[in-house]
Amino acid sequence: MKKILLIISALLMQMAAFAQNRFPKPDFESGYQYPDINYAVPNESLWLFVDIALLVLLMSFVSWAVIKKQTRKPIIWVSVISVAYFGFFRSGCVCSIGSIQNVALSLADSSYILPVSVLLFFILPIIFAFLFGRVFCAGVCPFGALQELVNIKNYRLSKALTTALSVIPWIYLIFAILYAVTRSSFIICKFDPFIGIFRFGGDFGLILFGVLLLITSIFTGRPFCRFICPYGALLSLFSRISIFKVQITKQQCINCELCHNACPVDAIKPPYDNKVKEKRLSGVKRILNYFIILPLLIVAGSVLMRYFSDDLSRAHYDVRLYDMIQQQEENPQNIMPLEVEAFYGEGKTVDELHTNVEKIKADFKFYSTIAGGFIGLVIGILLISLSTKRTRKLYEIEHADCVACGKCFDYCPQNKFDVKTAKLSI
Amino acid sequence: MKEDNNKKSPIERRKFLQMLGKVAAGGSILFVAGKLTTRLNQQEAGYYWQIDPEKCTQCGRCETHCVLNVSAVKCFHANKVCGYCDLCGGYYRSNVKELNTAAENLMCPTGAIKRKFVEDPYFEYSIDESLCNGCGKCVKGCTSFGNGSLYLQIKRDLCVDCNECQIAKVCPSKAITRVPIAMAYNLKDE
Amino acid sequence: MKKVIFRNITLVSAIFIVTFSIMLITNYFQVRQSSPLQTEIIESLKELNIQNSGNTELQAQIRQLDLMARKAYFVSMDHLITGVYILIGMLLVFIVSIRLYFSNYKDIPEKELDPIDEWVIKTQARKYVGFTATGMAAIALLFVVLSTPFLKDNTDKPKEEPLQASLVAQETTTAEPQQEAVVETIDQSEPEEETIETPEPAVVETEEPTISEKPEVKEDVKQETVPEKVEEVVSEPAKEEPKAVVAPVNTSNFNAFRGNNSNGLSDAKNVPTKWDLVAGTNIAWKTAIPLKGHNSPVVNGDKVFFTGADQDNRILFCYSLNDGKSLWQLKAENIPGSPAAAPKTTDDTGLAAPTVATNGKQVCAIFGTGDLICADMNGNKLWAKNIGVPDNHYGYASSLLTYNNLLIIQYDNSNESKVIALDMARGDEKWSTARQEKITWSSPVLAKVGAKEQLVLMGNPAMAAYDPDNGKQLWREEFLSGEVGASACSVNGIIYGASEYASLTAINGADGSVLWNASDYLPEVASPVATASNVYVATSYGIVVSYDAKTGELKKEQEFDGEFYSSPIIAEGKIFLFSTDGIMHIFSADDEFNLLDSFETGEKVFATPAFINDKIVVRTEESIYCVTTK
Repeated sequence: MKKILLIISALLMQMAAFAQNRFPKPDFESGYQYPDINYAVPNESLWLFVDIALLVLLMSFVSWAVIKKQTRKPIIWVSVISVAYFGFFRSGCVCSIGSIQNVALSLADSSYILPVSVLLFFILPIIFAFLFGRVFCAGVCPFGALQELVNIKNYRLSKALTTALSVIPWIYLIFAILYAVTRSSFIICKFDPFIGIFRFGGDFGLILFGVLLLITSIFTGRPFCRFICPYGALLSLFSRISIFKVQITKQQCINCELCHNACPVDAIKPPYDNKVKEKRLSGVKRILNYFIILPLLIVAGSVLMRYFSDDLSRAHYDVRLYDMIQQQEENPQNIMPLEVEAFYGEGKTVDELHTNVEKIKADFKFYSTIAGGFIGLVIGILLISLSTKRTRKLYEIEHADCVACGKCFDYCPQNKFDVKTAKLSI
Repeated sequence: MKEDNNKKSPIERRKFLQMLGKVAAGGSILFVAGKLTTRLNQQEAGYYWQIDPEKCTQCGRCETHCVLNVSAVKCFHANKVCGYCDLCGGYYRSNVKELNTAAENLMCPTGAIKRKFVEDPYFEYSIDESLCNGCGKCVKGCTSFGNGSLYLQIKRDLCVDCNECQIAKVCPSKAITRVPIAMAYNLKDE
Repeated sequence: MKKVIFRNITLVSAIFIVTFSIMLITNYFQVRQSSPLQTEIIESLKELNIQNSGNTELQAQIRQLDLMARKAYFVSMDHLITGVYILIGMLLVFIVSIRLYFSNYKDIPEKELDPIDEWVIKTQARKYVGFTATGMAAIALLFVVLSTPFLKDNTDKPKEEPLQASLVAQETTTAEPQQEAVVETIDQSEPEEETIETPEPAVVETEEPTISEKPEVKEDVKQETVPEKVEEVVSEPAKEEPKAVVAPVNTSNFNAFRGNNSNGLSDAKNVPTKWDLVAGTNIAWKTAIPLKGHNSPVVNGDKVFFTGADQDNRILFCYSLNDGKSLWQLKAENIPGSPAAAPKTTDDTGLAAPTVATNGKQVCAIFGTGDLICADMNGNKLWAKNIGVPDNHYGYASSLLTYNNLLIIQYDNSNESKVIALDMARGDEKWSTARQEKITWSSPVLAKVGAKEQLVLMGNPAMAAYDPDNGKQLWREEFLSGEVGASACSVNGIIYGASEYASLTAINGADGSVLWNASDYLPEVASPVATASNVYVATSYGIVVSYDAKTGELKKEQEFDGEFYSSPIIAEGKIFLFSTDGIMHIFSADDEFNLLDSFETGEKVFATPAFINDKIVVRTEESIYCVTTK
C-alpha cells in the first residue's frame, strides 16, 4: 500500500508554469496606454471600528435603560438600529454567536490568528452580561432584535418542555466548538437561519427555516434565542451571577401577578412555597443519586462520542478527500472528482495526506471524548438542578433566562411611570 | 450537605455560591481575554477572503457556492500581462472557426468580456463587472492557452466577509484564504 | 377607528406578503435553473457548430437561444432583487401596523391562575431530558452501527461482499439488543408517568438511561475492533489491484509501434534468431503489400494490422498471422472534414507513416490527411473522423497508442500542437491538451512510473509527460531541438529521450528531474531502447552504441555499413535491429553488448518489426512476411 502511495506522490504538476508568458508583451505603435484600473478596497477598518463602537454604545444604552430607567422604549429603537445596521447593512458577519468558534479555534490552535474585532465581538457581550445581564440579547444582537420586533403575543409552551429543550443550545455549543477546534467547519455560521434573510439570498432551506422561526416568534417569544442560540447559553452563565441585575420593579413586589404573562422567555418565576409531599430524606437521596450518576453520564458520553469520532471526522475536508482518493486509487476513473484532480495537481503525496488525516482523526478522537464528557455533564447538571427545590415568596426573575427585554416593566403597577398607562389600558 | 442548619442558612449559602461564581466568571473572562490578547500582537490577522490565482484551478465553484445571489468573485484582467491576442483563449471558445463576436464563438456565458481593437493585430480586453458571474470559464481558457492575464478575485466591496467562506470550504485547491487588508487583492499586474 | 385601519392594513399586507413570497420563490427556482446560463441545448448546439462550421442556420439558432437565455437570466435576476426589496418593504408595513394595532395590548393573566406546581414541572422536565438523552444516544449508536458497513461498502470491491455481508449481519445482530433495550426503557416508563405524585420512582427511572448506556460501553469496545478488520481486508487487495490493471501485457500481442506501450520492449518468447527470405529459411509466409506506407505492422491475436496510402486511397489492412491471407481491409473514405486533395508529403514519410494501434477490441489508424478510422477486430467500421488536416512539411508521422480504452494521438503540427485522447469504441474526445511544442514526428510512449502510467511525448523543444487519464501535464523538460523524429523509451520509471543535434537525456519520471545528459551519438529516426542498466541508441549513420543507464557514460560503440531507420526492439534479452538495407543485427542486451549475429534477410526495411511468441512480422518496402521458429 505504501508503495502505491509513494508512487502517486510522484505525480507532480507545475501549476506555476501556467502563469508564464506564452505571448510576448505587444509593442504598441499607436501610443496605446495601458488602461488604469483601480480595484477599490473599502475602508474596512473604519467599518470595524464603527461596529465595535456601536456594539458598546448600544449595549451601554440598553443597560442604562434596563437597570437605571426601567423602561422598554429605547430597547425597541436599539432593536431597529441593530437589525438595520448589524443585520441588513453589515450582513450579519461577524457576529458574536459565530465568534465563539473563532475564539475556540484560537485557544486550541496557536497558529490561528484571531482578528481583534472578532475577539471584541466575543468578549464585550460577555463582559456586559457579567456586569448587567444579557443586555446584548435584549436588542443589540440582530437575531434577537428581529425576533423581538415581530413578536406580538406570547402563547405559553409547556414549561417542562421548554426546560428540557434548553439543553439544545448547550449541545449545539459543544458541537460547534468541537468542529471549530478541529478546523472542520463553522457549523454555527453554516446553519445560521437569519443570515439568508439579512442578505436577501442564500441557501433556500435555511431561509425557509429562518422564516418559520420568525413566524413562530410572532406567537411565542424568541424561539431561536431560547432553544438554539449557543451564545445565549454562554451568556446565561454570566448573567446568572451578574453584578447588577435586572429587576421588575425597584419597589416592593406586591405579588399582583400582572407581570407573569409579560415575559416572552418565561424567565419570571411565580412565588412557590415548598409544600412538598415527600420526605426530606428522599429528596436528598435523589440529589445524591444524581451526583453519583453525573460521573457515569460523563463517562458514557465520552465513550459514545469517542466511538463516534470517526464518523464525526468526516466533516473535515481532508478526511473526505482521503476517502475520495482511496476510492480513486482502488477503482480508477477517467473523470475524477474536482477535489481529487486538484489534489494530484497540488503535488502533495497521499502519504502526507494520510498522516494528516490520521492526525485529524486523532484530534477528533481526543476532542470528541471531551465533548462527550461535557454533554454528559450538561445533562447531569440539568438533572440535578431540576431536582432542587427553592422557595420563593415573590415574583422573581430567573436571571439566566432573562434577556433584559424590559417587557415586564410596563406591567408592574409598582413602577410609578407605568401605573398611568396600565390604568389607561384597563 | 449539612441539612440541620438548612432552615436559616440557604440565603447565606446562595450568596456565598453567587460570590464564588462571580469571582470564577470574572477570573475566566480575564483569563480568556488575557490569553487571547497575547495572541493578538504576534502578527496582523488575516481577515479578508481572497483567491490566490496561482492555486486556482477554475473549477467553477466560485460561481455556485457564494452566499450572495451573484458571486462576489469576479474576473480580473491584468492588461500588463495580456498578450492582446486576436485569438484569445478567454474570449473565444476553443476550436472557433471565425473570430467574430457571434454568440456561438464566445466563451463568456454572460457576455461580460468586452474587446476593443487597438492596432493590428492587438485587441484590448476588459471585464464588465456587473455582468460577470465569476464562473471562471474565460480564466480557464486564458491560463491554459494564453498568458494567464485573466484571473479570479473576490471583489472586496461585494464580499460580505463571512466568518467561514462557503467557497473556501469547497475549493478543491484551497486557493481561498484569509489575508490581511494590506494584501486585499492578489493583483497580477503589480 | 384607528385600530380598524391598522387591522386592515395588517391583513392586506399579510395577504400581499404571502402571495408575493410564493411568486418570489417560484422565480427563485427558475433563476436557479437558468443560472448556468448556457443551457445544455445551447451547449450541444455550439459543439455541433464547431464540428460542421459554416451552417448559418445553426448559428442563427444559437444566437437567438443565447440571447433568450441571457435575457431570461438577467430579467429574472432583476425581478428577484426588486421583489425582495418590495417584500421587505411590505414586511415593514406589516410589522409597524400590527405593532400599532397591538400597541396598548397587555397580556394580563386571567383571574384564576392555574396553580403552577413547580415541582411537577421539574419532575416532568427531568423525565423529558432523560428520555431524549437516552433516545438520542440509542439512535446515534444505531445510526453509527448501521451506517459504518454501508460507508465502507462504497470503497470495497464486489469480491469482499460476502465478507461484508457477514459483517453487516454481525453488526446488525449486535445492534438489535440495543434497540430492544431502548424499547424496554420506554415501556417501563409509561406506567410511571401516571404516578408522578410519588417522586421515588422518578429516581429509579432516571437511572435507567445510565443503565442502558452501560451495555453500550461494552459494545463500543467490540465494535471498535470490527471496523479495523474491515480496513485490513480493504487495504490488502488494494495492493494487488493496480498491478493487474497496469500490466495487461499479453506476450502474444504487439499492439502498437515498438510494442505495447511503445517502449521497444517485447515479452515474446522463443523468438526466431535466423531467417532468410531468398532461401525461405524459417519464413512462414510472405505477401506483397498492396499500398505503400512507412508504418510498422502490429499484431494482436492472430491478426496483423498495417496501413497503406497513396493520393487517392487510405486503407487499413488486416492479415492473418497464420497464413498471411488478407482477412479484411477498411478504406478511410467519406469522412467529413477530410481534404479533397491529400496534403503534400515527401517520399520518405508519405501519407501512411503512423503505425496503427489496437487494444484487442478495436483497431484504429490515422493517415497523413488527418483521417482517423477505427474498426472492430472483424473489420466493421466503428467510427471515423478527421481531426484536422496536419500542416506538416514531411507528412504527419506520429503513431497511435492505446491506453485502456483510450486512443492517444500526438498531433504536433505547424498549425496546431496538442495531444488528444479519444474513446476507442465511440470516438468521443475524452480529453485534449494543448502543447507548447513545435512540429514533431515522434510517437507517444507510455512510461510506467511506479504504479501509474505517464504518457511521454517528445517535442521541440521539450519532452513532456501527461497523465493519460486526464491529459494533465505532469512535467516538462526542455532539452530537444530541431526536427524530433525518435520517440522516448522508459525503464523502471526513468525516461530516456534522444534526438539528433540535441542530447540523450534521462529523466526521473517521478518528478521530471534530469538525471543525466549525453550527446556522443544521437539517433535521428530510430528510437532508443533501454534496459535497467543500459540505453542503446542506433544512429542513422550506422553507429550503434550503449550508454550506462545510471550515469549516461558511453560504454560501447559499434560501427556498421548502412543506416538505421528501423527501431531496435529488445526481446528475450536480445536487441533486434534492422538496418535499412535489410541486414538483421542481433546484440546481447547486457553490459557486454556483443553482436551475436548479423545476417542478410533480402529486402530493404524501414519499419520496425513486430515480435510475438515464436514469430516476427517484418514489413519491408514491398512486402510483409512472417518469420517463425516452427
